[in-house]
Amino acid sequence: MKLTPKILEIDPATTTERIKTFIKDFVEKTEAKGVVLGLSGGIDSSTIAALSALALGGEKVIGLILPEDETYNRTDIEHAKLVAQKFHFKTVEINITPVLEAYYKTLPIFDDKERMSKGNIKARVRMIYLYYYANKLNLLVCGSSDKSETMMGYFTKWGDVAADVSPIMDLYKTQVRQLAKHIGIPNEIIAKPSSPNLWRGQLAEKELGMKYETLDLVLYGLEHFIATQEIANQLNLDIQLVESIKKRWIAMEHKRQMPLSLKLTYRTVGKDFRLPYTR
Amino acid sequence: MREFKIALTQIVCERANKRVNLQKMEKYVEQARKKEAKLIIFPELATTGYVLRDQIYELAETIPGTTVTAIEKIAKREGMYIIFGMPELSEKTQMVIYNTAVLIGPEGYVGKYQKMHLPTHSVFEEKRYFRQGYSPQVFETEIGKLGMIICYDVFFPEVSRLLRLKGAQFLVCISASPAVRRHFFETLTVARAVENAVFLAYVNLVGIENGLQFWGGSRLIAPNGKIIVQAKYNKEDMIIGTVDYLSIKPVEAFVPTLRDIRPEIFQELKERSEKL
Repeated sequence: MKLTPKILEIDPATTTERIKTFIKDFVEKTEAKGVVLGLSGGIDSSTIAALSALALGGEKVIGLILPEDETYNRTDIEHAKLVAQKFHFKTVEINITPVLEAYYKTLPIFDDKERMSKGNIKARVRMIYLYYYANKLNLLVCGSSDKSETMMGYFTKWGDVAADVSPIMDLYKTQVRQLAKHIGIPNEIIAKPSSPNLWRGQLAEKELGMKYETLDLVLYGLEHFIATQEIANQLNLDIQLVESIKKRWIAMEHKRQMPLSLKLTYRTVGKDFRLPYTR
Repeated sequence: MREFKIALTQIVCERANKRVNLQKMEKYVEQARKKEAKLIIFPELATTGYVLRDQIYELAETIPGTTVTAIEKIAKREGMYIIFGMPELSEKTQMVIYNTAVLIGPEGYVGKYQKMHLPTHSVFEEKRYFRQGYSPQVFETEIGKLGMIICYDVFFPEVSRLLRLKGAQFLVCISASPAVRRHFFETLTVARAVENAVFLAYVNLVGIENGLQFWGGSRLIAPNGKIIVQAKYNKEDMIIGTVDYLSIKPVEAFVPTLRDIRPEIFQELKERSEKL
């Protein structure tokens, strides 16, 4: 197996159709009226919003644009609105700064300098807004997490990853880019550097330690049981770096599952109580 | 009967709802009869859907049982053969289940096949829920000698070969295969038909269950490997194809795989596969 960009190529037309069918099927089976999703103006949420609108019709999709003052970026908001306009779905813009400030003010141990804990509040507050819309209007929350960030645990637990359905979670970032291009997401959105925007200037590739083009190949190798030494050799990377990615992928499993429970009785939720989703 | 029509019917099942699925199957049997089909084939676990997990304990039924009786009535009324998949509860126990293909004819129940190879890898968890079957059977009917296999069995040429050596002229493979595996099945179904000089009907599930998208693409394959008819991908569909046993002869003569079988390697195959 040669770890080259070619191996990450998808058939974007078939993939688009499969995702559209999946979204439509899930909404129908759960008898929801449509989907609500967070729109950051980035590639993942733009792609998933567009796919939802293509699957359900724009009138069944609501994009929530949830900026806050510290990371406010007018270009991102313009990008979000551009996608909404192009794919004909509604958006609602709500500045969440007052809610965030209420948390900052009331948390006895709040530390303004510790960016991670503070940033995670932002992602979790956005989740609350999304689920309010979902509950009130009988919508499903459609998640936009991709496979690269999910494998790396590069998301906020119970925050941006929280959703009822995650249609692109099995596509690496570079594959989402192929899909985005195919369905007509504007180039400036595809090309701009990814950021979770938990604080000003935060950049995904800088934090992950490499470009997505390389990271996705490392993850693809791990997914396909290729030894770390072989991955490092093929991609001309330091073995320690590949090992650290593998370690992180495994260590982050707690962010991808229900909370760990202790087996105490006959059938245990999250362990051997096994039921399917939906009808 | 040398030549007859069959209906390959790939359906979207409503998971865990036998009543709805049986109604749908009945509707298709009527349609197939109007199109003069003698045999109609439904996918693996067609009465319940494929992804059942722990719900299977409530859905499995004995054979004979309520579901088989209901389908016998339809088969008798329409004068047709019906093949379908269902979770079968063992008669001697309360929780031992088989993944079973059932053959019912115009006179009632004919026979069954319990899946021998249970996929338990990737997204599949069949060994957790099913006991494996032990022997494929050939059923002599007025539409020829039929053998049934189920889905992952098609990866093991020995099952189809054994059915052929027991006299089957027509193999039916019912299936619940999700989309990423399409190329395996499209290759292997043709291979099983050619290497045994038999007709092979492959009927796959469609629809989405628990994030698995079943791809359909059901097909009838001639003994020379030619696809006689093929159903749509990813959509509920019924297609009619014709089986004509006369076309086995020229294949047996000029692709003489049966003449050239080497029995002496089977003992070694057995020994080697025990010590893998």
